[in-house]
Amino acid sequence: MALSRSETSIRCSAEAAKVFVDWYYQSVNEGKPVAGAYVTNNATYRASGHPPSDICANGLVVATPEEWDQMLAQQRFIPANAAASAATTSTTIGRSPPSAVNYDVECYDAHVINPDFRFAAPPALLTDGKAHGSGESNGAGVRMMVMVSVSGTVTFGLEKDAPKQHFSDVFILVPNWDVIAKHGSRGTRRYIVASQTYRAY
Amino acid sequence: MAPPTGPRGGTHRYVPRGSRGGGISKRRATTKTDRDGDVAMDAPVSGGANGNSVRGGVTRGGRGSRSGRDSVTRPTRGSSRIAQSIRNYGTDPGRASKAGFGRVTLKVQGYRDNKAANNSDGGRRRLLEFIERKASRPDGSKPVTIGKTVVDDDFVWISVRKDDVPDVLRVSGHPYAGAPLTITETDEKMPNPEEARMSQSALELKQNMTAVLAKRYNAEQRLLDLSALGADNTLVGMGTFDSQSTAQKAFKVLMQIVGLQYKRPDEKKEALQAVSLARNDIIDVDQVFSLANALPDLKRLDLSSNKIETLSNLSKWRNRFKQLEELHLTGNPITALPNYVPELLQWFPSLQNLNGQQVRTVEEAAASLKALEPTPIPQFPSNLRDGDNNIAPQFLQAFFALFDTDRARLAVEFYDEDSLFSLAIIPNSGRNLPWRSYMKFSRNIHKFNSRNPQLLQRLFSGGSQIGDLWKALPATRHPSIEEPGQWLVDGHTFSHLADPSGQVESAMGLIIIVNGRFEEADASTNTFGTRTFTRTFVLGPSKPSNPPPRHVYRVISDQMTLHDWTASPPPATAPQPTVESQAPIPAIPIHPTISPISVPPPVVGAMVPDENMKAQLIRELSKRTGMTLEYSELCLTGVANWNFDSALRAFEEQKPNLPSTAFVSAV
Repeated sequence: MALSRSETSIRCSAEAAKVFVDWYYQSVNEGKPVAGAYVTNNATYRASGHPPSDICANGLVVATPEEWDQMLAQQRFIPANAAASAATTSTTIGRSPPSAVNYDVECYDAHVINPDFRFAAPPALLTDGKAHGSGESNGAGVRMMVMVSVSGTVTFGLEKDAPKQHFSDVFILVPNWDVIAKHGSRGTRRYIVASQTYRAY
Repeated sequence: MAPPTGPRGGTHRYVPRGSRGGGISKRRATTKTDRDGDVAMDAPVSGGANGNSVRGGVTRGGRGSRSGRDSVTRPTRGSSRIAQSIRNYGTDPGRASKAGFGRVTLKVQGYRDNKAANNSDGGRRRLLEFIERKASRPDGSKPVTIGKTVVDDDFVWISVRKDDVPDVLRVSGHPYAGAPLTITETDEKMPNPEEARMSQSALELKQNMTAVLAKRYNAEQRLLDLSALGADNTLVGMGTFDSQSTAQKAFKVLMQIVGLQYKRPDEKKEALQAVSLARNDIIDVDQVFSLANALPDLKRLDLSSNKIETLSNLSKWRNRFKQLEELHLTGNPITALPNYVPELLQWFPSLQNLNGQQVRTVEEAAASLKALEPTPIPQFPSNLRDGDNNIAPQFLQAFFALFDTDRARLAVEFYDEDSLFSLAIIPNSGRNLPWRSYMKFSRNIHKFNSRNPQLLQRLFSGGSQIGDLWKALPATRHPSIEEPGQWLVDGHTFSHLADPSGQVESAMGLIIIVNGRFEEADASTNTFGTRTFTRTFVLGPSKPSNPPPRHVYRVISDQMTLHDWTASPPPATAPQPTVESQAPIPAIPIHPTISPISVPPPVVGAMVPDENMKAQLIRELSKRTGMTLEYSELCLTGVANWNFDSALRAFEEQKPNLPSTAFVSAV
């Protein structure tokens, strides 16, 4: 049924957006790398010839997700050598320094921009009929390309009157086939980033 | 340590808990305040101070416990109330002589639940006034006043005249600030908050502590010498070192009192720059942690001759004392550790002198402190990579002009039956304009759970539905797309959209993210003003079936997030013809081919990029201009001073004069 299928996509895209946004900003706020969630670092996509993730931050094209991680780390106040030294010294004392840069998501919205995404999809998800006998017919609610538009506030510093900026972060997410193909898998990496456009001002 | 309960405690703000034996021992009774929130340290003893029945007793320390006439002389209450009190007391000469005579104790229950309980005094004052007002006859013939009042965890205990009791009980059941009150008569004895003994000793304690501090303060060196506190006769005499826990609490109290000596933080910072905690048998700085709260801007700290063994014994102060320049740990076992110096250098960014040795230069310290400041990712101009066919600027120009003037036509021309539109608002981003007109359409998934039907209802699909929604939205006026400083437009082409003709496996799409602002005129609320927005378009090839006028592309997805990030106050009623007064969005023209020259400097604060950023700037400029990296760097380091925008401008000006070697490959 066409209607229920699009309803499924809408609900699934919202769910995918939620899982992704929660994971992404928590990672960024905690200073954890996010590079693993980009198409660039996904073997299946790269093997099929997908271009690297398009990352553009404040108007600057960022070559790799790793570079983006680096820019985020640089933006956080942790001194350049802190991470390295924390890794080398055996004494990991107390908690790591509180991250001075905090992203506070206030709003996001998601649109399915391609409900029939096929690139590099495993054949099982492309065939008509039931996939994995799970009732997920024809990859509905899975084979989606989703645009997620996130807005919020980024605070620079821990003080109460620390400077703030508004940020908008727009992602194009595509399925992470490696995870989706495993039946029943849930979690953060079901969708990965094909494009990210960031602005904070 | 519990914070003081009095809202305007002044110099009496801090009263430590407990009092027995002059030491600082843990007791459950807390500070008491009088009706006006003053900490009453000077109330006389009232009988029967057994204290057993008190739980967190707070007394209204007013008439009942004192002479019974305090309210007459206290100027802080309203004059009508004073007059009322005078009348009451005047007509009953016998009653004031003995507190509690001819009086009945009532318990008031339910005040904890009411909204006013969050007031600074826990809502007591308002509550009492409420009961008095409600119990008094409306004609003023028989005003009721409440005498002694004690507050404990569950009840407010009030004492009223015997003949007022029926009037007061009548108030029972009345809703007060959202919760019904229950007032019952009781034979129980009113709990006694141990007021006198506690406050007396508290005062004494504070005086002693202040004396200790005064004796140990060296104004010339701006030094507070807290070394060898265990040998301080005053402190020992107070029982401070009877146990480990009393000693730690005493230190907290000392730190609190230090804080009270200065009205403003900068005063404190100026007057107190050094502290010695030498020879205090400190095993872990946790024992004296409150120093970091009391004196966060300390410059010199002496911890020598203590018993600090490991880094973890110091770790509680990690990331504290950002200004600390000098630290002495000599005479602590930790100095035997091999790695402690580099670690401490990281923990204390300003540290220059450790145990009398220079460990950083002033410049290095400044740099390492600077490194702790977050540096926002620098702002670059709009970055639109739309395949050089100028689709995006043309689309945006047409789109916003039509959105302002003819939304119905826009929906028909650029949207088809599969196009999606939704809007989301961030109302707490500003109150420049009301949000009402958008509220019922806002699709903020962040606030929805996945079963929320609005997830579906607020996603508009198909040109006609979208057009209908747009009719309901307030009128807008977007600035011209060519107006500099008004727009930030990023975007790029991407692959793997579905091909509407079904001929090839995938089609190219274009995503455009617009950050900008528009003027809004909302007829329903009669308001005008400026709103900021982020709007994301995904464009894809038109379907062959789309009716004319058929553009080569259609809007697949259009998502608008509205916010309000303007710093200036809202314009009163008149529309603002200019947007210059608003906090500008740092922006450059959307595409170099539109207006490459008339570029205003981006409104980014003075930014000195680090090496990494410089390299990025150089690469970016090289990419945009075709110049070699060397020339790009020259261009950036010259007049542009690492301002990307100025560099672009300089390039445009100097372009004809540049040698061919300036470019990556001569064409």
